[in-house]
Amino acid sequence: MSSPPALLELRGIVVDAGGRSILDVPQLALPAERTTAVLGANGAGKTTLLRVAGALIRQTAGEVMLDGAPATPTAIRRVSAAVLQRPLLRRASVRDNAETGLRFHRVPRAEARRRAGEWLERLGVAHLATSPAHTLSAGEAQRVSLARALALSPRLLLLDEPFSNLDAPTRGELLVDLGEALDATGAAALLVTHDRHEAAALADRMAILHAGDLRQEGPTAEVWGHPSDPDCARILGYDTVLETDVARRILGNGVAHPLALRSEDCAAAPAGIQMDGSSLTIDAELRRLIPLGSTTRVIAELDGRRLLATAPAPAPDWLANLQPGDPIAVRLERARARPVGAPFPAADEPALS
Amino acid sequence: MDVIWDALGDAFNLLFSGDHETFEIIGLSLRISLTATVIAFALGLPLGMLLAFGRFRGRRLALATVHTGMGMPPVVVGLIVTVMLWRSGPLGGLDMLYTPSAMIVAQAAIGAPLVAGISAAALQQIDPDFRVQMQALGASRLRSLWAVAVEARLPLLAAVMAGFGAAVSEVGAAMMVGGNIAGETRVLTTAAVLETSKGNLALAVALGLILLLLAFMVNLVLTLAQQRGRP
Repeated sequence: MSSPPALLELRGIVVDAGGRSILDVPQLALPAERTTAVLGANGAGKTTLLRVAGALIRQTAGEVMLDGAPATPTAIRRVSAAVLQRPLLRRASVRDNAETGLRFHRVPRAEARRRAGEWLERLGVAHLATSPAHTLSAGEAQRVSLARALALSPRLLLLDEPFSNLDAPTRGELLVDLGEALDATGAAALLVTHDRHEAAALADRMAILHAGDLRQEGPTAEVWGHPSDPDCARILGYDTVLETDVARRILGNGVAHPLALRSEDCAAAPAGIQMDGSSLTIDAELRRLIPLGSTTRVIAELDGRRLLATAPAPAPDWLANLQPGDPIAVRLERARARPVGAPFPAADEPALS
Repeated sequence: MDVIWDALGDAFNLLFSGDHETFEIIGLSLRISLTATVIAFALGLPLGMLLAFGRFRGRRLALATVHTGMGMPPVVVGLIVTVMLWRSGPLGGLDMLYTPSAMIVAQAAIGAPLVAGISAAALQQIDPDFRVQMQALGASRLRSLWAVAVEARLPLLAAVMAGFGAAVSEVGAAMMVGGNIAGETRVLTTAAVLETSKGNLALAVALGLILLLLAFMVNLVLTLAQQRGRP
């Protein structure tokens, strides 16, 4: 899939605060009509990046380009709209809130009402139009906040962890509605989030931010399966990273990169049972079992390194009877063990195919 | 007890007999204090915004100074204004001493720190990201400041009420810079002081009651504006 030309591009962006660099993004392009997710842990600099992109804070160095040319903060704000982490609504009715941005843009009241009403309807909160905003639940408030931004028909929508304060069912519903809304508007979107599932669900492209540094960027499918370094692997949900020497012992000398594994792909099995060639078996030692409700988290150790695996809940007898230090096997499909830092498409993964 | 009943009677008479002098005093009190309140708000709100949102060296020192100004004795303000407006003072050429304008200046100087201090606290109560969010929806810097002020309208109106209260109840500065000249600079507070010193307690209490009634009516209007849409 070739990306459309960049609507917004960050070039050489550096943000310093309190004498240290909190953001360093050599280059990040946000293609028009596509959603780009920036994934990172808390404190990685995601909000700072989003605010630089929206010209809401000034960068220490670097340039923000709009349609290929350097842009003033005013020009950027004219085409963008943001939804911040907490829905910051005015002390007014839902309808007045939804019209806020349109009024800032001097859209006549009648048209503002119509456009805001349309988005309140699409996001399922039209029935609350006359309610005072402070009476809304967190989910409703975030919907109003989204309607307020989308009503502007922005070319660039900035989404700062819009789901982080919501409970799981509310989040799931809003994720679906937001995905549909993004498809319908054709706006470019920048979503910053710590949740890889949200990022994967909404984004065409994905970038990974770690400790202020942009570490990796590319199409979602590519980034998802090809972490460029161990930090990116962890942010992408690979909770075990085995160094190259360990990987070689498991897979043979053809391995040139560390291996990243997701615990949900790794099944705990009794030690010493032979498997067919499509599976990979790693011999380890059991450390602990943690019941997680629907599954059991198995914490094993391999050469002093933690290896996480999954078992059914409640733990089967063979597993429940094991003691810490007993041998255990961890089994996964070969293709699920991902090389860390391999070039894409990965030409040097013979051992994995 | 008699003095209180006499006072109530006098107040009733003064209000409903259409006594020209009384209404002149009431009118002047209102004109001076409301004008001073408007000026105090016009100066105090931007100052409060600067203190709340500004990032400059000495901001906290300035805030502490404003907080001191909130408790400044009116007599000291009166003294400063008198010295400034004195014939040989720096603003003596304006020839303002012993005029209602001088009283407005003094009362505005008393009210402005109150408005600024309460405004700064009120504006800082609003989530700092609120302003960012408004800008992220297309508001200019100035427009986003206004949006924050509108969001803080309840405490800001409280600031106006505090400013008006300080202005209308103030007597020391009004006496000093106004001179309590009958028909020119006599207001309710200075008239009440004068009548008390003359031994006309009933009339003084009546003036006091009228002052209270006036303050109540102005604050009622402001409170109704503040609490609009609430039971």
